[in-house]
Amino acid sequence: MTEGFLQEQRTLEGDLNSENSHQNSVDFLMNWFRKRSIFVLAYGTGCGAIEMPPTFTSRYDAERLGIRGAATPRQADVIIVSGYCSYKTLRRIIRTYEQMSNPKYVLALGSCTVNGGMYWDSYNTIKKLEDYMPVDMYVNGCMPRPESILEGFIQLQKDIGNGKASSWQKYEENYEFYRKNQEAVLGEKVAPSYEADWYLYDGGL
Amino acid sequence: MENKHITIFHGPQHPGITGNMSVELDLIGETIQKATTHVGYLHRGFEKLVERRTVIQAFTIVCRICVPEPDPNEANFAMAVEELADLEVTPRAKYIRTMVLELSRLAAQFLWIGGQSGSIGLYAVGQWAIADRDLILDLFEELTGARVYHMYIYPGGVRRDLPDGFLGRVSKLLTYMKKRLKDYDDIFINNASFKARAIGVGVISQEEAIKNGYVGQVLRGCGIKADVRKDAPYLVYDELEFEVPTQTAGDVYARALVRRDEMNQSIHILEQLIEKIPDGEVMIKMPTHRKLKLKKDDTWVKIESARGEFAYYMAGDGTENIRRMQVRGPSLVHAFTLLEKLLVGAELSDVALIMNSLGICPPEIER
Amino acid sequence: MQTNMFTQIKNQFATNDIIIKRKDLYKVEVAKERLFDLIKFIGNHYDYKTLNAITCTDWIEDGHFAITYMLTTLDRTSTFMVQTLINREDAHINSLVDDFAQSEIMERDLAEMYGIDFIGNKNLIELSLENWVHTPPLRREFDTLEFVNKHLTFREGRDDNIDTKKEAKRLRAIKKAEKEALKKAKEEAKAKEENQDGK
Repeated sequence: MTEGFLQEQRTLEGDLNSENSHQNSVDFLMNWFRKRSIFVLAYGTGCGAIEMPPTFTSRYDAERLGIRGAATPRQADVIIVSGYCSYKTLRRIIRTYEQMSNPKYVLALGSCTVNGGMYWDSYNTIKKLEDYMPVDMYVNGCMPRPESILEGFIQLQKDIGNGKASSWQKYEENYEFYRKNQEAVLGEKVAPSYEADWYLYDGGL
Repeated sequence: MENKHITIFHGPQHPGITGNMSVELDLIGETIQKATTHVGYLHRGFEKLVERRTVIQAFTIVCRICVPEPDPNEANFAMAVEELADLEVTPRAKYIRTMVLELSRLAAQFLWIGGQSGSIGLYAVGQWAIADRDLILDLFEELTGARVYHMYIYPGGVRRDLPDGFLGRVSKLLTYMKKRLKDYDDIFINNASFKARAIGVGVISQEEAIKNGYVGQVLRGCGIKADVRKDAPYLVYDELEFEVPTQTAGDVYARALVRRDEMNQSIHILEQLIEKIPDGEVMIKMPTHRKLKLKKDDTWVKIESARGEFAYYMAGDGTENIRRMQVRGPSLVHAFTLLEKLLVGAELSDVALIMNSLGICPPEIER
Repeated sequence: MQTNMFTQIKNQFATNDIIIKRKDLYKVEVAKERLFDLIKFIGNHYDYKTLNAITCTDWIEDGHFAITYMLTTLDRTSTFMVQTLINREDAHINSLVDDFAQSEIMERDLAEMYGIDFIGNKNLIELSLENWVHTPPLRREFDTLEFVNKHLTFREGRDDNIDTKKEAKRLRAIKKAEKEALKKAKEEAKAKEENQDGK
């Protein structure tokens, strides 16, 4: 492998005529637009959050691929689950994921999302993220280098262009399966309740 | 007027928070009446995992306790195991360990610049700081093989010797850094908007700082010359000459000035280390991992990290497993006792500013 | 000066000898009832005014917890470890929140992880865990691998939870059985050949 960026230059573009493209032209055009503009939610859920600033700033520059940060889940496309998930974080991640609007994608960063990683015997982390949330792309490593994260994003862009990245539909169709797994681990109340609504104090509106 | 009080979460998903933790705020308008810190989103149970492992198995997970600055963890673990197993390290290994710790301190201070400038909206400074920190991570990759989690400082020495020409590359980087830090003075430290936001915010008094056990730049910003490298020297710090910078105002701007001076002192220490490093072996002959037994005794070791005093308590029981390892990071007292007191009466937009200035890092609070 | 301090502590509080671990680290073990008087004594007379940490070790084979308080002087050059032993069942001890404000968070951490009751601390709510109903995790009788195998599942295709010693023994027994079967077959073939030759 040559040093520096591991990809060859042409794969940065993502071909217009990709294989397995069984879509009509409207879907094809919508996916072509979507993959060129990806907003990543600003949420550092674990160890992997330390390699995200180098990826998104000037040295490795993810913005040339159309990737930038978004502050709220209502405006984001991708949620990056960067590393292990403790039970407390899993509640918040599920709630945030359900607040995002379709189409939305999940990128699982690090080896801890695959099979527990090096916390495989810990009593407070989950071992397999796919039981609780649908995942579009895994990026291995501990930590993955910024070049690996960019390769993951390019592969995700290819999948979006093909129409293969459709995890939000999988979540809606198999909602009972995911909900059963979430409740087995987190108890009845999966997400924290909406108790900080200020207009419910003092007698309401 | 009804509906005056609001409770919001400056929560785990927020662009202005230093890690995965949350602060629950009671507000009237934009002034904070009460603040409660919530941690536990990153709890992995390190202290339980280590009890099932031998020393070489625990060494691989210990560096992941503090994510922005992993090397003080490895150094503390190595020093504690060496005290409990009666091992003596060679001088060249001590110099290399000191060099790794000082480079890690410089990288952590650059990460602080990125976070502090992002909290007031100077995003250009963050881009510069993260890019300059990457040059230090390139040196780490050449020396240890990894950018962030090095796993290099092992009980008994360091894992391999310096590559050829490494010291020359470090000197070149230090020359570049000395020139570059003057640009940071112009764009960040002497910036009129930073001064307007930071002076007079988050003031801490001296008596309270000493009594409540605060550490690091919080003490140095109030005028106390507190530094573990001078008070209880470890490794080779008693052979090097450097100063401990202090300021008297005790606010966010004073702590920023202290950190900026510490970066100069780190460069000065590194230049001395490059000249003085002796020759020799870097690793002593160690027993195999099932035969490395720890005495039935306990010890307390501490190190000065970029954010304050970092300490480990370790107890052994005569076998090859570790009986108890407790991590006392610098942010434990800052995130609860100090933050909940400082935020009362502050504005909502100052929360990110104060949290970055105290250097709160959640993974070492809840391990 | 320090031998003076050591003899004073030993006479007044009926402790063992004070251990000097390093130039800047001393340790003493004292009974639970005299613990707070000792902390006040070294704070007022010898400047150990800052509380740095409170830790706890579980000695299940001896039936007690060992709680240690780390106190540092005002010029931060010397640290004193003050240790006491408390019972494992119904563990309780007085709290230090009136003297040191930072002990509130340290005691909260230990109360959650070991189940110790600190009398006087009103804020002993959960810190790192959420809605935890099993035994406190850092006690030695809580087996973390058994907990994981009971409540969570791994990805298929990875047989990491097998005991390697048992597996190695099983494979060795299979190899040995194969070798013996081969040997037996060779002997039988040889015996058959001799029989044929003999004939």
